[in-house]
Amino acid sequence: MATIQIENRTFEVDGDGFLASPNIWDKEVARLFAKYDGIDEMNEKHWAIINIIRSNYEEKGNAPMIRVICKETGLRLREVYELFPLGPARGACRVAGLPKPDGCV
Amino acid sequence: MGELSKDKIKKGLEVFANQKDSKLHAHLNACVHCGLCAESCIYYNAMPDEKFVPAKKVDLVASVYRRYKTLTGKTIPGLVGARKLDEATVNEMVDLLYGACTMCGRCNTHCSIGIDISFVVRTGRKLLTNMGYAPDALQSTINSALETGNNMGISETDFIETLEWLQEDLQMEVGNNAAKIPINETGKEVLYTLNPREPKFFPLSISAMAKIFYAANESWTISTKMYDVTNYAYYTGNEVESQIIVNRLFDEMQNLGAKKCVLAECGHGSRAFRWEGPNVIGKSYPFEVLTSVELIAGYIRDGRIKLDPEKIKDLVTIHDPCNLARSGGIVEEQRYIIKNAVTNFTEMTPSGIENLCCGGGGGQLAMSEYNERRIKIARIKAEQIQKTGAKIVATPCHNCVDQLTQINSTYKLGIQIKTIAEIVADALIID
Repeated sequence: MATIQIENRTFEVDGDGFLASPNIWDKEVARLFAKYDGIDEMNEKHWAIINIIRSNYEEKGNAPMIRVICKETGLRLREVYELFPLGPARGACRVAGLPKPDGCV
Repeated sequence: MGELSKDKIKKGLEVFANQKDSKLHAHLNACVHCGLCAESCIYYNAMPDEKFVPAKKVDLVASVYRRYKTLTGKTIPGLVGARKLDEATVNEMVDLLYGACTMCGRCNTHCSIGIDISFVVRTGRKLLTNMGYAPDALQSTINSALETGNNMGISETDFIETLEWLQEDLQMEVGNNAAKIPINETGKEVLYTLNPREPKFFPLSISAMAKIFYAANESWTISTKMYDVTNYAYYTGNEVESQIIVNRLFDEMQNLGAKKCVLAECGHGSRAFRWEGPNVIGKSYPFEVLTSVELIAGYIRDGRIKLDPEKIKDLVTIHDPCNLARSGGIVEEQRYIIKNAVTNFTEMTPSGIENLCCGGGGGQLAMSEYNERRIKIARIKAEQIQKTGAKIVATPCHNCVDQLTQINSTYKLGIQIKTIAEIVADALIID
């Protein structure tokens, strides 16, 4: 199992840097993972996206469709990509502590 | 060294039997060790270790073949470099054939005697798959496709809701409430497919294609039962699973009675369905199959859509997906489109059939196991892009888009990555 270190905390991750144990996730983990991706300050919009992804995951066991993310947060599609430059999967889902989604992402 | 059960070995060795033609045997016996393939490989270039030379990967498969299928290999294995299929061999094969090859085929074009090296690699992968050693993450993507009908496990309801949402967006964009994203309609000219990552996370390319269809006044539809253009079983060499996936799209074409099957911008999906598909299912298609790049180029040529290249002034370059350009011969179409759609275009060096793989092909993006290596080999592509000075990289492959997005972030390129349809949609003149 690979590890990454951010601000003196070490996390076990899969080869793609997704959290190995999604259940240890909390807001501090999100903040650190975002920082690792170059997002120094998580704003309200970032949190709105993370919260909807996280609650969908806890409820249904997978990442929500981008339509749901936009609908629930009121954000426009292009804003989501700007907030998480690595995209909803490798960017937002990773910060939300989900396992890597299957497919070309 | 760890021994493997006879049964397991037997399953692996099945790949050397029952070949429909003699291609495999010819290609396993043909390498003259000239070494010309070495420099063509992105892995060897990024990590100059002998084990990454394509000929070495061929020899790994050939050495197992010799051990079990030739007289000298059976009797004097040590003298002819014949290898036993044990744990050590399997581990090395998994690491090099799955973990260090994107099956981009650049070595094939440089091989002095024309060995289809990526075909041999795929045969080696198939051997490993038969024995149960296909990497988990790759197999899980295939399982998801087999179980749910698409590789991201999207439910039909979620899919339909997404298309309806995009339809509203399209109507606003073109200012016409009659603009549609038609679903499950029969007797249309075009059945359009998608990569599941589009409805799940990146739908701008669906909107772009819908806008192009609207402008071209095309008769088209999307199936909500079978729209997935990908076929990851192509990368594990599992023919049974690959057949199921090809047959599903084949059957849906028949069900909906469409004339043309238009494949979304997906390199391996185009290859697996259009070029390999008829061989995989053992029958030819009674309908036309073409990539969306060819379709869009045709729209421009026939005057069905009009573009204003002044709308995009940033310098644009093209990344050629290996499966489309090198394997499929689709090189000029994307250039014809981009030159009509933007003001400033520049080529990467090399490009076209000589282009360097982005590093995400061959299922690499789906295999977390080799993430570090995948990012490392991508430095070559990053430098290649940087040298062009381009601000936008256009590529007709969603898999390449994803790898390029990571390259953009890791190597801080500050570029935009777009599909061909997205660029065309931005340049469209809507009457």
